[in-house]
Amino acid sequence: MHAVSLEVPRRSEPAELPFAAVAEDHLDDVYGYLLYLTKNWALAEDLTSETFETALRRWRRFDPRRGTHRAWLLAIARSTALDWFRADARRKRREERSEAGVPDAQEHSFGETFSAELDEGLRALTAGEREVVALRVVLDLDGEETARLLGITVTAVSTRLHRALGKLEERMRDDDVA
Amino acid sequence: MTSPDLIRELTANRPAAPTALRARVREIAAKEAAPQAASFWPKLRLPVRRITLVAVPAAATIAIASAGVLGLARSDSNIAALRADQAEALESFDKAAPQSAPGTLLGAADQNLGPTVRPTLDRAQRISATLTVEVTDSDGVSRAAQKALDLTESLGGHVVTANVATGDQGSAALVVRVPVARVQEAIVQLSALGRIASQQVTIDDLQETLDRLEKRERSVRSQIALVSARLENDSLDATTRAQLESRLRTLRQELRGLRRDTAATNAEARMATIQLTVVTPGVLSAVPVPSRLDRTLDEALNVLVWEGVIALAIAIVAAPFALLLFAAWLGRKLYRRREEDRLLAT
Repeated sequence: MHAVSLEVPRRSEPAELPFAAVAEDHLDDVYGYLLYLTKNWALAEDLTSETFETALRRWRRFDPRRGTHRAWLLAIARSTALDWFRADARRKRREERSEAGVPDAQEHSFGETFSAELDEGLRALTAGEREVVALRVVLDLDGEETARLLGITVTAVSTRLHRALGKLEERMRDDDVA
Repeated sequence: MTSPDLIRELTANRPAAPTALRARVREIAAKEAAPQAASFWPKLRLPVRRITLVAVPAAATIAIASAGVLGLARSDSNIAALRADQAEALESFDKAAPQSAPGTLLGAADQNLGPTVRPTLDRAQRISATLTVEVTDSDGVSRAAQKALDLTESLGGHVVTANVATGDQGSAALVVRVPVARVQEAIVQLSALGRIASQQVTIDDLQETLDRLEKRERSVRSQIALVSARLENDSLDATTRAQLESRLRTLRQELRGLRRDTAATNAEARMATIQLTVVTPGVLSAVPVPSRLDRTLDEALNVLVWEGVIALAIAIVAAPFALLLFAAWLGRKLYRRREEDRLLAT
């Protein structure tokens, strides 16, 4: 297990950026986060659209003193995804389907440049583990920002990240051996 | 593959939004309305902690300030009421106790005393009078005390105690005894030493006591005479004689006591006791009016106490609801947290 130090200085943001510019700047971040969370690119696209629609409605409520545009958008994205998960869980309960979780029949869920092993390894993680990998590793959020977004402590973020990376590492090692 | 390799691969393959999605988001962003200059929503979104930090001291300041203002206002109204009360009291006092004038002996005294108080010279009485007169200044106190002493002497009386204090608020306390026959004259002339502040005359009848003493004395005397006559008989045996002699001694002893008591009662009935107090206006003035600052502070404190009582009452009523709301909020938060954990565990 290796320590991951991904601390980055908080970026100062212009106070009066137009929504379009903010959306353009952070679209990849939001999409990437949702893709890791749902492991389904089609669903991630839908949720990304929904996230930006919600963000536009709430745009005037954004308070730069409480965080960056990116953290704000990711919080909306997370809330949107959790709402979807809840609705999906209810739908599945109604339909009495034994299968749980997000449909993930797609190949190369996370990107075609990923190795198949890494793709498989990521799919084997839980949504919570993938979420923390996306935020801390892929999107390069610092521990404090991630903790605030997830509503947990910085230590819990660190623990969850190490567990996720450990599982991924182990999975990749097994694949290499096989 | 190690963790650094994994991280390298993950960061190198950062997902990028597909072109179609980018176009869709651009469409959404294009719906953004022109910035509203007069938008007030952000202004309304004040952080709760900062509001609390400002609101609590502000509320305390308002409470104290309102208490101060109310205290100031009420101190004015209270002092006006107090002055009105004092004026009314002085007016009624002036009506009740007019300045006595020498030369109108019984008339003036009777008028000052309300109901007529007139010693009955044919009966033994214990007469006590208490007088308080007010003079203009400390020198007046000394002069009045000296006049009272002279007057007592001239009326055939004597001084029991005399205590004269001079200074800013001089006063004199005298206890004198004057013959009962001249007590009215004494009271009138002492009352004339200044303005009468208070006056009280008490008369207790001693005649019944005196009659009882005299009757008993007569009885004892007759018994002594009888016993003495029997003792003159030479045929008495020794025992009877001894008993009679003992009885005679007891009767004589009782007679001496009765004579003493009778003499004391007569003496008490002959002389009246007058307690005279001479004061300056400062001593007798009504309750001193507190300063404006003191009154304001008192009233402000009262207002603060009432504000505290009201706040406490509100807190007592609101506390159960606040606790319920807090419990509901906490429960909902915990439930959602568990639900999220469950959803993200798949």
